[in-house]
Amino acid sequence: MLTIKILGSGCANCKQVEKIARNVVDEMALEAVVSKVTDYAEITRYDILSTPGLVVNEKVVCSGRIPTKAEVTTWLVDALDTA
Amino acid sequence: MDIIGSILGLLNSGLGNLAAYLAAHVLLCLLPAFYIAGAMTATIPKETVTRFLGRKTPKFISYPAAAAAGFLLAVCSCTVIPLFAGIYKKGAGIGPAITFLFVAPAINILALVYTGGVIGMDLAVARLLLSLAFGIGVGIIMALIFRKEDAAHDKDTDALFAGQAVMRPTAVIFMLLLVVLLVVGTFQIDALKQSYIQIDLPISGVDTFQSLLGRLVPFDPARGEEGVTAQGAILIGMLILIGVASWKGIENIHDGFNRWTWLSAGLVASTLIVAALGMTPHSGGVTLSLTGKFFGVLVSVIVLGWMLRSQLDEEETRSFLWESWKFVKQIFPLLIVGVFIVGVVRELIQPEWIEFVAGSNTLLGNFVGVVFGVFMYFPTLVEVPIAQMFLNLGMHRGPLLAYLISDPELSLQSILITAAIIGRAKAWTYVGWVALFSTLSGLMYGAWVDGTSTGIVALYLILFLAGLVGLLWQVSRRNAPRLASEHTP
Repeated sequence: MLTIKILGSGCANCKQVEKIARNVVDEMALEAVVSKVTDYAEITRYDILSTPGLVVNEKVVCSGRIPTKAEVTTWLVDALDTA
Repeated sequence: MDIIGSILGLLNSGLGNLAAYLAAHVLLCLLPAFYIAGAMTATIPKETVTRFLGRKTPKFISYPAAAAAGFLLAVCSCTVIPLFAGIYKKGAGIGPAITFLFVAPAINILALVYTGGVIGMDLAVARLLLSLAFGIGVGIIMALIFRKEDAAHDKDTDALFAGQAVMRPTAVIFMLLLVVLLVVGTFQIDALKQSYIQIDLPISGVDTFQSLLGRLVPFDPARGEEGVTAQGAILIGMLILIGVASWKGIENIHDGFNRWTWLSAGLVASTLIVAALGMTPHSGGVTLSLTGKFFGVLVSVIVLGWMLRSQLDEEETRSFLWESWKFVKQIFPLLIVGVFIVGVVRELIQPEWIEFVAGSNTLLGNFVGVVFGVFMYFPTLVEVPIAQMFLNLGMHRGPLLAYLISDPELSLQSILITAAIIGRAKAWTYVGWVALFSTLSGLMYGAWVDGTSTGIVALYLILFLAGLVGLLWQVSRRNAPRLASEHTP
C-alpha cells in the first residue's frame, strides 16, 4: 500500500504531476492513495524549495520539476520494495 | 439613448486599446520574453543559486544571491512561496528571504521586458536597479529588527541548500540566443532601424484595409493612443493560430510531441519574423522594408529552431516548450482582460485628477502612487498597461515608478501568505518598509527625470545603502561572539 502526495498550490505543473502519478498507479494497478496537499503550512513541512513536489510514503522523491513517467514508475517500484 | 452611446464608446475604447496592444511593439518583446522565462525555468537548475542561501553562507554573499534568485528563478509564484519559506526557516534567515520576496515579482524577466517595451527602457532600468538596492535594504532592516527571533528559528540542517548543479553549455547558449532575439527585436538602435532592402509587393487593397481598421478602431495619437495597422491585424490572426496550435500540441506534451507541437513552434517563429518586417501600404500595393532588426530576428530565430530540433535533448525541449506555454496560458488571458479594462477606465478618468495628485515629483504624489499600488491588486504584468495609462494621463515618471515598484510587491494575497509563514508582526513591518522604500525610489527617480544629475542621485543611493550596511556590520560585530559560541557543537 503506497501513500502518494502531490505538494502544490494547484498550479499547472502540480496538476501535471498528479496526472502522471495517477497514470502510473493505474497502469501498474497499484494499491495506492493519491492525495493533493495544497495548504502551504503543510507543504513547507517537507524539505522542498519549489513546487510541485512528489512524496511517496512520506519521502520527497522529486521537487521543482515535472518527472517523466519512467521516473515515477521507478520510484514507486523502489517504495514497494522497501516497504 | 445617451447612456447606450457612452457605453458603446467605452467598449470601443477598451477594444481599441486591446487591439493596439496585441499588434504593435508588444509582440517582439513579450513573445520572446515568455520563451526566455520558459527557458530559465526549464534549464537553470535551482541549485546554482540556492546553494548560496544556506545557513552558513556569509551575509555579503547570501543577500546578493537572494536578489539573483529573485531575478533568475522566480518567474512563477510556484517557486516564490516555497523558496521564501525554505530560505526563512531552513536557510539564510529572514533577511535574505525578504530580499528574495521583494525582488522576485518586480524584476523578473517578463516584468522588466514588458516595462521596457511599453513605457521605456529608462524606467525598466530604474525599476531593476532600485528594486535590487532596496530589496537588499529591506532584507537587512528586517534582519536587524527581528534578529532575536531569527537566531531562534529552527536549527535545521543545511542539506536543503547543499545541492550543486551545472548548466549544460548548450542550454546556456540557447538562452543567450533568446536574449539576443529579444535585444535585436526591441532595442531602438539606428543599425537595427535602418532599412537595407525594400521590396514592393503589388497587392492592392492593403491600404483600404488599413484605413478600414483605422475607422473601426479610431485613435488619437495626441493622447498616446495607438491604432491598428494592417500588419497588426495579420499578427493578431497569427497569435490566435499560435494559441490553437499550442493548445493541441503543447497542452499534452507530456504524452509525447506531435505535429501540432512543431506547428506551434514554427508559427511563433514566423510571427516574430513578420513582426520584425517594416510594412508600409500605399495605393499601388505594399512596401516591405527589410531592416537590420528583421535580419537579426531572422538569423536568431533560425539558429534557435535548429538548436531546438537537434541540440537540446528531449527532456529539455519538452520542459522548455511546456514552461513557456504555461506562462502564456497563465498570464496572457489576464493581460488581455486587464488591457481591455484599462482601455475602458481611461475614458472615465479626468487627466486633471491625475495631474493634480501626481503630476509632479512630490512626496505626496509618490506616496499616493504607493498607496494605490498597495491597495489595488492586479494580476502579474497588468500593472504595466495601467502604468502606461497613468503616464498618458499626465502622471510624473517618479510617482509612476513608485507605483510600479509597490504594486507587484504588495497585494492582500501576498501579505496574507507572507504573514502565514513569518507571522503577522513581521509581515506588516515588511509592508511598512516596502511602502517607504517605494516612495523613496519614486522620489529619487523622479528627481533624476527632472534633471538632477545621475551622480547626485547615485550618491544619495550609495550613502543610504552605506548607512544600512554600516548599521548591519555594527550589529553583527556585536553579536558575533555570541553567535559563534552557539555554532560550536
